[in-house]
Amino acid sequence: MISAIGNNVPETLASLIQSRTGIGKIHYLTTRYKDEFLAGEIKLSNEQLADLVNDHNPDLNRNSYIAMLAAKEAVQNSGIDTGDGLRTGVISSTTVAGMGKTELYYKELFEKDDHLSVLDTHDCGDSTERIADFLGNVDYVTTISTACSSAANAVMLGCRMIRNGLLDRAVVGGVDALSKFTFNGFNTLMILDKEWSKPFDENRKGLNLGEAAAFLVIEGEEALKKRNGKALAEIVGYANANDAYHQTASSPEGYGAQMAIEQALQMSGLKPGDIDYINMHGTGTPNNDLSEGTATRAVFGDRVPRFSSTKAFTGHTLAAAAAIEAVISVLSIQNDMIFPNLNFTTPIAGLDLVPETTLVRTPVNTVLSNSFGFGGNCSSLIFKKVSA
Amino acid sequence: MAKAYINGTGCISPQDSIDSEWFFDPVTAPSVDYYNAKEPSYKEFIAPNLLRRMGRAIKMGVAGANLALQQAGVTQVDAIITGTGLGCFEDSERFLLAMLNNNEQFLTPTSFIQSTHNTVGSQIALIMKCHDYNFTYVHRGFSFESTLQDALMLFSEGKESVLVGGIEEHTPNFVELNRRAHKFKAYDPAIPFWKSATPGIQMSEGAAFFVLGKSKSANSLARIDGVQTLYKPKSSDVVLKKLQAFLDQQGLSLAQIDVCLMGFSSDVNFDACLKALLPAIETETVAAHFKHLSGEYHTASAFALWTATKLIEKQELPAALAISDKKPSQIKHVLIINQYLGINYSFTLVSKC
Repeated sequence: MISAIGNNVPETLASLIQSRTGIGKIHYLTTRYKDEFLAGEIKLSNEQLADLVNDHNPDLNRNSYIAMLAAKEAVQNSGIDTGDGLRTGVISSTTVAGMGKTELYYKELFEKDDHLSVLDTHDCGDSTERIADFLGNVDYVTTISTACSSAANAVMLGCRMIRNGLLDRAVVGGVDALSKFTFNGFNTLMILDKEWSKPFDENRKGLNLGEAAAFLVIEGEEALKKRNGKALAEIVGYANANDAYHQTASSPEGYGAQMAIEQALQMSGLKPGDIDYINMHGTGTPNNDLSEGTATRAVFGDRVPRFSSTKAFTGHTLAAAAAIEAVISVLSIQNDMIFPNLNFTTPIAGLDLVPETTLVRTPVNTVLSNSFGFGGNCSSLIFKKVSA
Repeated sequence: MAKAYINGTGCISPQDSIDSEWFFDPVTAPSVDYYNAKEPSYKEFIAPNLLRRMGRAIKMGVAGANLALQQAGVTQVDAIITGTGLGCFEDSERFLLAMLNNNEQFLTPTSFIQSTHNTVGSQIALIMKCHDYNFTYVHRGFSFESTLQDALMLFSEGKESVLVGGIEEHTPNFVELNRRAHKFKAYDPAIPFWKSATPGIQMSEGAAFFVLGKSKSANSLARIDGVQTLYKPKSSDVVLKKLQAFLDQQGLSLAQIDVCLMGFSSDVNFDACLKALLPAIETETVAAHFKHLSGEYHTASAFALWTATKLIEKQELPAALAISDKKPSQIKHVLIINQYLGINYSFTLVSKC
C-alpha cells in the first residue's frame, strides 16, 4: 500500500499508531488552487516513483507507478509465486486512470504529435495490465470502476471468482493518483474542505482528496494449503447494493448503505453485535456522514460498535479508498488496534455517534468496512481474524 | 458454472440493428475511417428532462437497456452490469477542455458528474429504481466479457435475472487525435478484413444490452454456455489450445460449432493470431466475421453477442457475415472468438435453447 501516510504497509501502520496525518499543503499536483486547499499526496515525485519501480518507460504514469509498487508489495508479503502454475488474477479498480497525464498534454495534442501516446494509456485498463506484466504469469485481468466504492467491488469480485472456481487466487485492490481533473471536479461539487476534514463531526465541511494504491492477495483455502501459507485475515462477508436515489448524493436515510451492511452481515453469519470495529466510509462531507451515520444507527441501533473513519489520515482516495481501508482493517485485526478518527470534536446532532479519537488497543476479531460512491454504488466488506 | 438465457436484446450500432426486423440487409459501410452509431429518436425511451443533460453514451445505454427490457417483457432485474472501455468520454472531454481553457475557473459540475465510468449503469438503476447489485467493468477488450462472466457467477449464486450491456462512444476530437496517431485507415470493401495486409482499424461506437435469465422462459432467444478471456496469449497455438480446453469443458468439439464469429479488425498486426487460426476453424466449422459491420471498439463483442443471438433466432447465416461460401446446415452453437488490439482475446459460446 502506498498513500499519503506511507510508501508501504509498515510506514502506514506507524503513521496510524502515531496519529500522523498525511494531509497537508499541495506539493506535487499542479493547480491554481495549490495554496488554497489541502490534499493527501504521496510524498514522491514521478521521477522518484519511476526509480522505485525501476522502469523509466515514458508511457508509464503516476497511476501505474503507484499501482505497480503497491501490488508488488502485496505479492512479496504474501509469499505467493505467480509462476507456480496456479491461476492468478489481477482485479484492479480506478476512476482517474490516465487522466493525470492526459490533462498535461491534451491541448497540445491538437498541434503536435509528440505526446499522442497518452491516448493509449488514458483508459482504466492500462494500469491493471501494467501490474499484470510487472508481476508476470497472470492468467486473468479485469478492472472495475464504480466511483468511490470501486476497490470494495474488486475485493468482492476476487472472492467470488475464487469461490466459483475460476481463479485460485487474486491480487485485488485499487488505485487513484491525484489529478487536476478530479480536484476541479470535486471543487465544482463544493464538497472540499479547505482545512483538515472532520469526519462525523457536526461542523464537518467536506472532504480532502488524497491519492493511493493498495492491493491485497486473496487466496482460496486450497491454494493457501498447497503452499503452507498463513492468512492475515479472512473475508467472511461482502455485499453490493445501489442507493438509486441521486447521481452524486446519498439518500438521507442511507438506504443503499444499510442494504450493503445488512447483506454483508447476513452472508458472514455474524450478528451486528459481533462486529468489533467499523472502518467507515466517513468522507467528511455533510451528506455522506449523515447518510452513513443514519444507516449505521438503523443496523446497529443503540449498540453501535467502536468506529472511525481513517480518511482524515489519507484523504479520500476514491477508487483506492476501499483497498487502503481493507489493508487498514487487516492491520486492525493483526495488531488488535482501532485507529483514531482525527479532527473530531462534536457529534452530529440527532445521531450522537462518537468515533474513537485516540488509538485503542483492544482485541479486534471482526471489522466491517464500508465504501460508497457516486451513482449510488454501496459496498461493504467484513474481515475476520483467522481462528488459530 | 450456471448458464444464462438471453430473454431480450437491444442494440444500437452503425447498422440498422435497432429495427427488430433488420437481418444484416441492407448493410451500411462507412464512407470514412470511422463509424458512427445510428442513434434512435431517444424521446421514445427517455423522459425529456433527463434527456437534456445526458451524454451520448448514457443515451445509447439507457435506450439499449430499454429495448432489451421491453423485448424480455420485464421491468425489474436482480442486477445491472455494464461494461465500457472509455466510459462517458464526451463528458470527460467537455470538463477537461473547460478546465484547461479557463485555467480551472468557471466550471460547472454536470459534465464532471457524468464523466464517471459507472454513470450509465447508475442512471439505468436510478430510472428503474433498482437497488440491487450494480457493477461497471472498464477493462479494454474485456469490459463486456467481464459483465457476462459476472452474470454467470450471479446465477450460480442464486440471482434470477441480470441486465448486462456494453457501451462505447467517441467524440470528433478523439477520432481526430487517433487518426493523427495513425490508428485508423479508410474502410475498403474490396479487401476482406482477414486478408488485410496493412495496419489500421475503423474506430466505432455503440451499445448492446441483454436481459439474461437463470432459467429458460417463453421469451428465451438463446443461451450463453460459457465465456473465457485470454490476456496476451503468446501465440496462436496457445489460443487454439485454450479454445480446445474451453470447448472440452462444454463437452463440445470444434466440429460441433456451426458458426464461428471471428473478431477480425482489418489491422494486419492485431489480426495475426486470428488469421493463423482461420484454416483450423474453416476445416471444422463455418467461419464468419462482424467488425466490418460494427467497427472496432472496446465492447464490440457485445455487438457480436447480439449477432450470435440473431443467427440462432433466424437459423441462417446472412451473406453479409460470411467469410466463405460454406453454409451451416443448422445453427445450434455459435462460438465468438474476439480479439482487441491483439492483446485481449475472448471466447463466448452461445447455443440454441
